Amino acid sequence: MRLAVADEDLSACVSCGLCLPHCPTYRVTGEESASPRGRIAAMRATHATDAPAGPEFAEFMDLCVQCRGCEVACPSSVPFGRLMEGARATLARETAYQPRRRRMGYAVLGHHRLLLLASSAAAVLQRLHLVPARLGLPRLPLRRPRLRPGDTAGPGGRPIGTAGPGGRPIGTAGPGGRPIGTAGPGGRPIGTAGVGGRPPEPDAWLFTGCVMDAWMRPTHAAALRVMHATGARVALPGPGGDCCGALHVHAGLRRQAEALARRVMASMPGDAHVVVDSAGCGAALKDYGALLGTAEARRFSDRVLDVHEWLAARAGRLPAARRRLTGPVAVQDPCHLRHVQQAHQHVRTVLAPYADLVELGDDGLCCGAGGAYAGIHPAMAQEIRARKVAAIAATGAPVVASANPGCIVHLAGAGLDVRHPVDIIAWSLDGG
Amino acid sequence: MAGVASGEAACNSARQTGGVTDALAAELSAAMAPDRVRSGPLELTLYRRDASLLEGQPGVVCFPSTTDEVQAAVTIARRHGRAVVPRGSGTGLAGGAVPVGVDGAEPVVIVTTKMDRVLEIDADARVAWVQPGVLNLDLSRQVAHLGLHFAPDPSSQQSCSVGGNVANNSGGPHCLAYGVTSAHVLALEVVLPDGSLALLGDLDPEPPGYDLRGAFVGSEGTMGIAVRIAVRLSPDPPAVRTVLVDFASIETAASTVTGIIAAGLVPAALEMMDARITSAVEDYVHAGFPRDAAAVLLVELDGLPAGVEAATQIVADVAAANGARGVRVAADEAERALLWKGRKSAFGAIARIAPDYYLHDTVVPRTRLVEVLSEVYEIAARHRLLVVNVFHAGDGNLHPLLVFDRREPGVMARVLAAGTDMIAACVAVGGVLSGEHGIGLEKRDHMGLIFSDDDLDAQRRLRLAFDPEQACNPHKVLPSGSGCGDLQSVPAGAWI
Repeated sequence: MRLAVADEDLSACVSCGLCLPHCPTYRVTGEESASPRGRIAAMRATHATDAPAGPEFAEFMDLCVQCRGCEVACPSSVPFGRLMEGARATLARETAYQPRRRRMGYAVLGHHRLLLLASSAAAVLQRLHLVPARLGLPRLPLRRPRLRPGDTAGPGGRPIGTAGPGGRPIGTAGPGGRPIGTAGPGGRPIGTAGVGGRPPEPDAWLFTGCVMDAWMRPTHAAALRVMHATGARVALPGPGGDCCGALHVHAGLRRQAEALARRVMASMPGDAHVVVDSAGCGAALKDYGALLGTAEARRFSDRVLDVHEWLAARAGRLPAARRRLTGPVAVQDPCHLRHVQQAHQHVRTVLAPYADLVELGDDGLCCGAGGAYAGIHPAMAQEIRARKVAAIAATGAPVVASANPGCIVHLAGAGLDVRHPVDIIAWSLDGG
Repeated sequence: MAGVASGEAACNSARQTGGVTDALAAELSAAMAPDRVRSGPLELTLYRRDASLLEGQPGVVCFPSTTDEVQAAVTIARRHGRAVVPRGSGTGLAGGAVPVGVDGAEPVVIVTTKMDRVLEIDADARVAWVQPGVLNLDLSRQVAHLGLHFAPDPSSQQSCSVGGNVANNSGGPHCLAYGVTSAHVLALEVVLPDGSLALLGDLDPEPPGYDLRGAFVGSEGTMGIAVRIAVRLSPDPPAVRTVLVDFASIETAASTVTGIIAAGLVPAALEMMDARITSAVEDYVHAGFPRDAAAVLLVELDGLPAGVEAATQIVADVAAANGARGVRVAADEAERALLWKGRKSAFGAIARIAPDYYLHDTVVPRTRLVEVLSEVYEIAARHRLLVVNVFHAGDGNLHPLLVFDRREPGVMARVLAAGTDMIAACVAVGGVLSGEHGIGLEKRDHMGLIFSDDDLDAQRRLRLAFDPEQACNPHKVLPSGSGCGDLQSVPAGAWI
């Protein structure tokens, strides 16, 4: 079965095996089928024949967390992520690899109101003890704070906003520069209009995402708080700017991912930076240029920055800490921040003035969260996590900083106190 | 061995192996957890090769987790008339773990990766007992807090297993000063080819009787499978200095190597990389390797601080006298680590030049380095091939890599011919076939170049003492039927 991969990518592996210890599933199993080298060998064997791919091939591909730790470990820079996405796209298109149930789950992510409703309903059921623990869901929020997009901390701050549905500005600036904010779909304010009814260009957009907005909106509020503290004018995406499509790309559902990418791009027009506080979403947004292959998408991707990357360039404008955590904070690098965006050092730059940081001794090995992975392969995800938990325990730090919602939820599931770096900074700025 | 098969595990196994139908696989499954025996066709293809070029075909792959299970696997395989092929991380460069069977029956591959525990550390005696699947670098990391490390450091040390190091008597950059694996293994518990267990060697430095431990280390899986290994741990040196020297010609780099040793120094490591490979690794590590150098030397000096200081000066002086363009001393541990990462990534970075490589491992007298190197380049040019050199210059251990794309028609024949010429050139100046990678399958047929029939027969008889039926990693190391001078090029069942 011909896979949707480039022959040159497939032949770039010399099978040296230097990737093996950097692969979380190989670390757990010690098996070639669960290693980058073995997966590439399986792709080669499948790609070389006309026979349809069997269940073995789908199993080997599906067990990959797509952390891409192997890519940075590879001296020949084999583009493993691209190979795996191509293999899964072929499987999804030509086999029963993604069953209807899973496809429906992925589809919901792009319908934000439905997602918020479903999340709230699940939160109620959780309180009634009607959600089985084996699903591994975190404790879901019953309520979510309103985000105030136009707030600025500095004097002279001017609220700005985003276009409402159909480009119609909704909401107006209130007196004193404070935004009033009109509730958008799902009760979330989607912005305020600037002077003259046309929203002025913000300094930055904060991308809010799908599941993260449903489950961890206070972290977005903290990101806004910290971004405002630099004096920037921040806007939230317009309608459609909800789901980045990363999970769809990982699942091989490329068409859906492309449609979501176009929506996200349209939701944040202009030239301002697109700031992302979820490492997984940020990596996806930065890859739109490759996903869509258009000049417009490449220009959009060039505007995308991880929130720490954006803050690090403005670190001098951040106020001093008004309070500090007492113990050290262990920095856990999300894979898509460290291996894919390679922006993980910025977390340290930004967080160091607010906490005593300690490093993990595991070379940035994946924690096993992997977007939807922990839900699809819970047993493997937990075995991978056990190694991360041990690496964290070895530091003795009581708090873990992690810049990705998936990692936060997954590690918190092991009983750890895991916080987003912007949550720590916002807490520190606000004082006691 | 206990026949344990809980319902859940059995179900798991059926999913993962595509149904255990074969009697051999069924018996192996009964002897160890069923999900650790695999015979799915796609999974078997993943074990057809290691990091070398040749491919074989396994019949079953199993992953024992205890000594009992290794014994059971060997016994069952033999009862079914199958050979066994031990495998660690599969990073070998000579085809030692390529599965080749006997009498047309595909062998049982016994993978040790799940036996990955450090069993015991005695910091005072500087000894650790480890299972064979422990990764070389993991071992050093686990004892780092004691100020100790495991000295053999193959370039693949982050991935290769201690069991594999034992099988190949592996070396590495730092073996120039500290010796290869054999010097760091005190005792071994091994499963012999008949399934019985034996302890070779002793923690006592001078055990009585023949040094069977010494015979086993480097036997490439032909004498059994090590299941417990007592390794010597070395104290970390008090001071370390790493120097990068940059040359405008290969010849001046090579004469500097000779000059450093002649000056009375034995550096901890003394490595050379030529222009092409230096550029390729620089693309990966961005360590500041000079892209325009014809060759670079990486020299590491260790010991007491004053001695290291003096030795660094000597290296700089010798380099200058030989016309080096520049000498850079790593400023800190991070820079030092980055330089070594570059050196140790060299083989893996080859795909930046071409997708395949064929690697030799000959050793020549250090004083003949200059002439042998120029001959290596000439041979490659004669066969219209690209060769890159990255090697342990200090002990004359060459690693010429012929790089090519096997999709190019006819290229394999030229690669093999050039390889044979290179070996002949090295042997002609008094060199040997392999420094550290082993003979395996790839270099097996060149053994006749350096050993007489009598030599080979003596080695064959040693092997037969351990493995009378030649069922443990058959067709490796010794040319088949070496006693009768019957050299077939590649055994049936293996192909390139």
